[in-house]
Amino acid sequence: MTAPTTATRLRVDWPSCDAHGLCHELLPDLIGLDDWGFPILPEHVPADRVLEARAAAKACPKLALRLLQP
Amino acid sequence: MTTQAMPSQLATLPLTPSEDLLVLPGPALLADVASRRVSGGIGSGGDPSLRDHRARWGEPTMLGLDALHALTDAAGVRGRGGAGFSFARKLATAARHRSLGRAPFVVVNASEGEPASAKDAALARTSPHLVLDGALIAARALGAREIHVIVPGDRPRTRGLLLAAVAERTTDPASSGVRWLTHTTQARFVAGQARAVLELMAGRPGLPVTAWEPEAVRGHRGRATLLSNAETWAHVGLLALEGLGRTLGRGTAAEPGTTLLTVHAPGRPVTVQEVEHGLPLGAVLPASARSGPILLGGFHGTWAAGSDVVDLPISAAAFRERRLALGAGVVIAPGLGACAVAWTERIVAHLASESAGRCGPCRNGLPALATAVADLAAGRPGARAEVARLCGLVEGRGACAHPDGTSRLVASLLQAFPEEVARHEAGRCGARQHLIESEAVR
Amino acid sequence: MTVLTITEGPLLWYLNRASGLSLMIVLSASVVLGVLARGGRTGGDGGARVPRFVTQSLHRNLALGGMLLLLAHIATAVVDEYVDIRWADALLPWGSAYEPWWVALGTIASDLFLVVTLTSALRLRLGHRAWKTIHLASWLAWGVGVAHGIGIGTDLRDQQDWVAWSVLPTIVCVLAVLAALGWRLDERRRGPRDAAVAPTTTSREAVHR
Repeated sequence: MTAPTTATRLRVDWPSCDAHGLCHELLPDLIGLDDWGFPILPEHVPADRVLEARAAAKACPKLALRLLQP
Repeated sequence: MTTQAMPSQLATLPLTPSEDLLVLPGPALLADVASRRVSGGIGSGGDPSLRDHRARWGEPTMLGLDALHALTDAAGVRGRGGAGFSFARKLATAARHRSLGRAPFVVVNASEGEPASAKDAALARTSPHLVLDGALIAARALGAREIHVIVPGDRPRTRGLLLAAVAERTTDPASSGVRWLTHTTQARFVAGQARAVLELMAGRPGLPVTAWEPEAVRGHRGRATLLSNAETWAHVGLLALEGLGRTLGRGTAAEPGTTLLTVHAPGRPVTVQEVEHGLPLGAVLPASARSGPILLGGFHGTWAAGSDVVDLPISAAAFRERRLALGAGVVIAPGLGACAVAWTERIVAHLASESAGRCGPCRNGLPALATAVADLAAGRPGARAEVARLCGLVEGRGACAHPDGTSRLVASLLQAFPEEVARHEAGRCGARQHLIESEAVR
Repeated sequence: MTVLTITEGPLLWYLNRASGLSLMIVLSASVVLGVLARGGRTGGDGGARVPRFVTQSLHRNLALGGMLLLLAHIATAVVDEYVDIRWADALLPWGSAYEPWWVALGTIASDLFLVVTLTSALRLRLGHRAWKTIHLASWLAWGVGVAHGIGIGTDLRDQQDWVAWSVLPTIVCVLAVLAALGWRLDERRRGPRDAAVAPTTTSREAVHR
């Protein structure tokens, strides 16, 4: 909620997320995992990591991760 | 000899809604209410029927979209469901996202999922047709052909009154051209959340889902949906019926009008009271509740010391400035001698059990937070740090604001009563100690 | 020595059987990896010994490799003049002059495989639910394909000396896929591993001891 809305963000559809963790595997320095395996997303995605973030969103087995671009 | 009053009975923790209310007369929405205790049946004096409502107000004048927008904008009508969003802006958004052949929908959310809140129940008993007129006026302005009224499954009396009021509309000529539909929520804390309501309307379980867009943009059946709390609609209705001047004559210049509060205090039934914005909070608190801890905004709200907030004006801006939240207008004053830590422990345990269970961080995080708060209350070492960590961990990570609200409650406990928390960490309890001390000197 | 053209003689026949056998192995491996890639619920650091995105990648690549093998398998069968199988029989499960029932099974299996692969390429557009429903057909495609292999494959049916070369891989593939299926069904039954239990507030009275 504190990130500027003009930034590229990742968002999770929480009811779909099953904590498979592929997003964390692909972007370990941007996406962390909490105590139960669910992703902790960064405030925004740096411009040079957008392609990787898109790949992480594609890799999600439940398509729960979305990349939102302004 | 102590000069403090003996701690009187403490208020009961309102985990389930009470249908036994005291509704006090107020300056606007509750103007026609003779002060009465409304339990079981309708109290004497005042009949919430459509006939009486029309006798009092006449037929509502239908407003065009621009006129309604200007009116609600000038009066600063804000949502009363807890978020406090500008009604005029929401109206404009819904209007912008209409399209040919896809008429928008109007939804009256009277489900009152927060068990400690009773203001919508009070409106159902005293002025349901102010609520419905507000929705009708907006529906006409937007060109909506359906008004959906969401009624609470866990408050049978309220539900019955609302259904009766809606039934009267189907034979009311002024309400023609619009279909009135009703939906009943399950008895769950999160069932009143906007997306949960939309799910219920779509025939699916009434639990929250992720909203990629606001419902005013894309809601029921993919169309613009203007969903507001029952009290919000009542304010819109009253505003249209009595005119802008009367509304601007109440409250403050920055925040005109009034707000309904549900007050829980020791030795009193649950009381619903209407206050003009700007009045100090102390005006609604009986003496028994002015000292001791106070929970503002209900179970997703914020703790404060009674003495700190007695003079706090009831206004969104003033509350925000003090990092407090008015939420849906719930004020719980457990009473002098109540232990805020123990109350928080029980509330958080309840909130954890009320999770829809759809989102991992909430399903796992809230029970963990509840355990951590219980550990804190019991004086286990390291609990405070764990509580703080879990508060940060669950915030913003769910389809609805349930984890956020729970986190806010716990964080406010640490913020408002650091000494009491420290006492619990050391294995003591200030409230209990106070109780022992006052008994000793009696 | 009689010179045989490529369409006569046993070369295409051998290629067809080889591609068929490889197809079964590759696709069985893909099915097993598909189950592993999805895996059970994770906890903490993810729990998988091999990163899941590697498993997922391998699953896809094996499937694509299988698609190529399938094309080879079909082509060698059609071009071979020894058996009367036409291109149409590769898509439509009727009308084959040679072993109509077993060929039909092969056709059905490859049709299903084709649909699964296409929908997976369009997964983002389809959305998860629709994609998932169709993807379940891959179990059926595998089963029908193996039945086709057992029924039409002279290697397995006619029990000759060199039969062991194809029997063993078949048994291994079937066991592996059945084990994967069993594990997947069991995991479904167990539900989310992290399903939380309501907390017991045993310390509610602790401060009032």
